Amino acid sequence: MKRSVLLTVNGERHEVLIEPNLTLLELLREGLNLKGAKEACGIGACGACTVLMDEKPVNACIVLALEAEGKEIETIEGLVKGNDLHPLQRSFIDHYSFQCGFCTPGTIMTAKAFLHRNPKPSRDEVKNGIAGNICRCTGYENIVDGILNAAKEI
Amino acid sequence: MSEFRYVTKGINRTDGELIVTGRARYTCDMELPGMLVAKILRSPYPHARIKGINTDKAKGLEGVKAVITGADIGYRRFSFIDTPAFPADQTPLAVDKVRFAGEEVAAVAAVNEEIAAKALDLIEVEYEELPPVFDPEEAMKEGAPAVHEIVEPNTTTAWEDFGVPPSKSRPYKAVNNISNKALIQYGDIEKGFEEAEHIREDRFEVPSTSHMAMEPHVAVANYLPTGKLDVWLTHMGYEHKRFWLAKLLDIPISRVRVHKTYVGGAFGGKISIFPFEFIAAYLSKITLRPVKITLPREEVFAGCPPSRRMIVYLKTGVKKDGRITAQQVKVIDDVGAYRRSSPTALYLAHVFRNPIYNIPNLKHEGYGVYTNKLYTTAKRGHGLPQMVFAVEAQLDMICDELGLDKVEMRLKNFRKKGDILPNGDKLRSYGLPECLKEAAEKIGWKEKYGKEKFRGLGIGSASMFSGAHNFPFSSAAMIRLNHDGRMILYTGQTEFGIGVDTVMAQIVAEVLNCPLDYVIVNSGDSEVSPHDVGNWLSGGIFVSGEAVRRAAQDLRDQMLNYAAAGLDIPIEDLDMKDGWIIPGSDESKKLSFSDMSRYGIQMAGGDPLIGKGYVKCVPEVHFWKGKYNKTASLSSGKGRFTEAYGLTMAIAHVEVNPETGEVKILEIVVADDCGTPINVKSVEGQIMSQTVMGIGDVCYEEVRINNGIVMNPNLLDYMVPTANDIPKITSILVDSYEPNGPFGAKEVGESPRAAVISAISNAICNAIGERIYDLPMTSDKIKKALRSKSA
Repeated sequence: MKRSVLLTVNGERHEVLIEPNLTLLELLREGLNLKGAKEACGIGACGACTVLMDEKPVNACIVLALEAEGKEIETIEGLVKGNDLHPLQRSFIDHYSFQCGFCTPGTIMTAKAFLHRNPKPSRDEVKNGIAGNICRCTGYENIVDGILNAAKEI
Repeated sequence: MSEFRYVTKGINRTDGELIVTGRARYTCDMELPGMLVAKILRSPYPHARIKGINTDKAKGLEGVKAVITGADIGYRRFSFIDTPAFPADQTPLAVDKVRFAGEEVAAVAAVNEEIAAKALDLIEVEYEELPPVFDPEEAMKEGAPAVHEIVEPNTTTAWEDFGVPPSKSRPYKAVNNISNKALIQYGDIEKGFEEAEHIREDRFEVPSTSHMAMEPHVAVANYLPTGKLDVWLTHMGYEHKRFWLAKLLDIPISRVRVHKTYVGGAFGGKISIFPFEFIAAYLSKITLRPVKITLPREEVFAGCPPSRRMIVYLKTGVKKDGRITAQQVKVIDDVGAYRRSSPTALYLAHVFRNPIYNIPNLKHEGYGVYTNKLYTTAKRGHGLPQMVFAVEAQLDMICDELGLDKVEMRLKNFRKKGDILPNGDKLRSYGLPECLKEAAEKIGWKEKYGKEKFRGLGIGSASMFSGAHNFPFSSAAMIRLNHDGRMILYTGQTEFGIGVDTVMAQIVAEVLNCPLDYVIVNSGDSEVSPHDVGNWLSGGIFVSGEAVRRAAQDLRDQMLNYAAAGLDIPIEDLDMKDGWIIPGSDESKKLSFSDMSRYGIQMAGGDPLIGKGYVKCVPEVHFWKGKYNKTASLSSGKGRFTEAYGLTMAIAHVEVNPETGEVKILEIVVADDCGTPINVKSVEGQIMSQTVMGIGDVCYEEVRINNGIVMNPNLLDYMVPTANDIPKITSILVDSYEPNGPFGAKEVGESPRAAVISAISNAICNAIGERIYDLPMTSDKIKKALRSKSA
């Protein structure tokens, strides 16, 4: 039986009719055509699907879309303001913080929430903050550099 | 290096904005109107006869558009290796029997995923279980269950399509499950061991690890009513993919278009064709609708090949001073159900390490052995990490027994710049001794070695081709000048994380001395791009990059010729600078690239100016209607392989907790000779990437298979390194120049991983004073080794 859900995604209100077993990631990717968040493991173990729900990072692959009722969702697509990249996005480019880029949208969203909680983190705190986001390409150091340098500008 | 404007610089990715905004399009993001979703039914048994399949109920389910089995598409075989001696042994869907648990048995295309999944449940398969064989050494024994029957070649190979006469093909009968063999010999092995003053013999074992590319395997196929196939794939070069799609679907190769996509990591695991890709294409062909197959992570782990499982028997003889006199190797490659790239791996396990140590007398014997397990494939270094793990471990043991310094012993045995290898490859650049010296200096080898309790130091080495002689043999590139003076580069290189578009733009801008944003890169589209070797065997920069450099040089020469004619000035007096063509005497007469486009079109018969460049991986190797030259043999290791070798030495410093067996990596230094680094940030990124991958390989990664079943097919049970696991890592690029590479560049994408694996594992064994002969070196194994030592 389909249910109606009202949620805000990147500042836009959506009312959607969904199956109760639909995940938030499926809603975003297939329902709303926001392809930035990715599915890599399907069990909430890699962070590639990370989006913010009321400013908190969630693994959208294991969150039901129903849980997003009344919530504000922010995805990587919502980070650009006009023509301006978010400082994290700029810093990721400047520090070579990605290679294949598949985990990048999730990691940037995790980092955004992390810097919100901890605006002046140490290197080890950043590493711990992104330990739930698996990257198979970069070896992480450049991601940590990207986040630390963005922290200076936020 | 300072004379370069772009080359050697750490230029940011030109497509960075696409990646960080989530706008880069991967295959998993592809949606087409009317697209069907396909799912695959896989065998639950490691070895069973298929007595019957009933698909009637599945076909009757509303929303199901097609159901296929081996009876529909099992008629043609494919493989990674498709030389005449090794005919392809795999079918896209199992025919008559299944050879591993996870093998594709049937497939469904439906209007959505839910219906496709329901339809799979409705397919009835009757199996008769057969006795399986899992241990490769058991499988090699007389009377072991046979995984394969006689394999008859049923299509021409890529080599035949490029000039080897088809008559060379022959059926293959696997005796005692031996899928393929290699025997590489030089010198006099018996004499070598007679000369030795110290000999060691050991057995080492390396399990499969997963590539764990972040993007799961996925394919979108759209067969058009015109008889053309459009595909979007997760891949590492389109030539292999479209070759097999064309063969299997009986359509001309030119009618298969592999579209450009971003690929979410590959690491060797996405080369060649996979059954699911062919299934998607076939389902699209029979439904005339787009079809997408996305493999869940569990299916990637349990149905797609991980790295090769190898057992290495190693015997090395040395003089008392550490000089190696002979080495005898027997490698058993537990290939699993299908051969795939085993013939390559068995030979690469030798030839990739050939440039490291000068071993005057050598015998390298290899056996690929079929078992009823998940088949295996290349992963960053393809056979090299397994082999080097064994060789470097044994060298350490020999040094310990003879009281030799492990750095000095290796320096004594290295080859030399200018050496010609037994197969004829020449080491025109060779920075390996410098790599070791600089790494040892950086990590403080002399100060630390043997002086710290439960801490250890270990060394690893590696070398790697810069592209190889095999299919698709060469790369080309084209550069089109537009009338705004900007250029579009067409290259077949694929972007899966290496930053290849950026690097190629750097090469073009360097040759034409123009702003980087004058170069627009159109890459990885098989219909638009010219022939290309792809991004494997580490030929991307050395081969395709050189083709791009030559194309840029060609365009530069054409522009200068027209400028000379247009200005009536000798060509020698012209220079290119900042996107202008400047007459040496009079800068006021300077011409823009835009002017040259207009000149070509208006004054030179409409010539739009297109630069062309091409390179053969190994020019000496050719075959054409029975004429051969230096064709390399996978099974005897004779003939030329590559034009240049990338080289790496790594040293690791670790601490082991004797109570828990826990390893703390304190530092890893990786010194690499990749020739000129075209983009230093990209090169350092490759080194970092492989170092961290190597940490996983040594400390915890293993695709665990029990009775033919993958036991850890998900990211909770299969552990990979996280940001918390990263020690201090230093990369050193030694000063080196490869005369044959573009601007002196060569390989960097594969060799560091092998060197790091050996370095960490040797450091652990050095710390505990005991040898562990297999990977991964888990805390349990370390505790056990410590216990056996104290007992």
